[in-house]
Amino acid sequence: MSENHVIDLIAAYALNILEADEAQQVASHLAACSSCATELQSYLRVVEQLPLAAPDANPPAHLKACLMSQLPKKQNFTAAEKPAPMHIAPEKRPWWQTLLQALPTLSPAWNLASAVLILVLSASNLFLWQRIKQLDHPSSRHFITVDLQGSPSIPSAAGVLVMDEQGHAGTLVVDGLPVLDNSKTYQLWLIRDGARTSGGVFSVDSLGYGSLWITSQIPLTRYDSFGVTIEPAGGSPGPTGEKVLGGEL
Amino acid sequence: MNYSTYDDYSLIHLVALAEEKALGALYDRYGKLVYSIALNSVGDAGLAEEITQDVFLRIWEKASTYQPEHGKVLTWITSITRHRAIDMLRRRSARPETVQPGWAVEEEGADDPPEMAAPENVEDLVDLAQQQQRVRKALAQLPQDQQKALAMAFFQGYSHSELALALGEPLGTVKTRIRLGMQKLRALLEIEA
Repeated sequence: MSENHVIDLIAAYALNILEADEAQQVASHLAACSSCATELQSYLRVVEQLPLAAPDANPPAHLKACLMSQLPKKQNFTAAEKPAPMHIAPEKRPWWQTLLQALPTLSPAWNLASAVLILVLSASNLFLWQRIKQLDHPSSRHFITVDLQGSPSIPSAAGVLVMDEQGHAGTLVVDGLPVLDNSKTYQLWLIRDGARTSGGVFSVDSLGYGSLWITSQIPLTRYDSFGVTIEPAGGSPGPTGEKVLGGEL
Repeated sequence: MNYSTYDDYSLIHLVALAEEKALGALYDRYGKLVYSIALNSVGDAGLAEEITQDVFLRIWEKASTYQPEHGKVLTWITSITRHRAIDMLRRRSARPETVQPGWAVEEEGADDPPEMAAPENVEDLVDLAQQQQRVRKALAQLPQDQQKALAMAFFQGYSHSELALALGEPLGTVKTRIRLGMQKLRALLEIEA
């Protein structure tokens, strides 16, 4: 293959418009041919500029306000970065203090019901505290994670592979992968000393999310790296299609 | 806090720290471009709005995963937009036949850069305007048939065989058209092979 360069197909490969078999041919060649890989990089630089030539259109004025109102709340601040509060709200009396203060004015029946409720809640808290202690065993908290990065053709894709400390089993979660038609599937590859073993096939939903439960005959921790390719439906014995995600342990 | 003078990377960093106004500043800077790409792809204003919101919500949620070594913020955003638009077309199993994607071409000699989103935006926006002018002038030098094939491939994800079917042209002709168009663009944009 390396003597039969795929230069005629590289521009279309950069545009991601090749048929599956041609994309597979180009991907295989690129892995072994630095001159064609350089050619690909030059066309990818063309592709990244093409969106700038979309005809100008103005979004409706309400769109920004609509977007900002939909932002899910997230708490990513570290303690050092978190901005100071703009003001201090007046101290509020806890609900139980208000209730206790009102108790003398309530009927004896209410007092009895409250006492029973307090006893039930105390017992419940004790049970939950013991349950948390059981779950807090050190062996349940150790996981190994491997970040998978999107390939140059899908830089927005990402994934993470989480496995237990011994590597007996793991889960792959991906995001940002395009939806494939029914003739194709994503396939995970477990790579060790250059040999690739299938880790399973999976698809993604309309938002690009997907997950895969992984079991392996040998511990996952013994693999060097992991990759995801696009394969014909049902999967392939070895990777043949375009690589979309990759990461090293 | 006025974030309009912050560079793209600083804004992404602030978005990763859950600073909503930083996302608003990114929208002010690139919302029009994102919407333009989406509308050119799907040909429907409602869908283009949906894609635009989806892209910025994704930036909001994924800003912490952005890696500068993989490309500029602008490239990241436009790549997300293109893939979202093509995904939406594929999910609907139909491309808008009545609306053909096109290019905003500029003839050689045009000196005015494209309109900018806000006067206070600085370096990144000037760069964006210059890049836009450059690529639009380059596209203007391609023959119409190459422009059309490239627009359908880029904005709507047409494969070679789908293009041949849609354009009523032999597969080999379409392949050559795409290849020659990209070759010429690469030369005009002075990108070294």
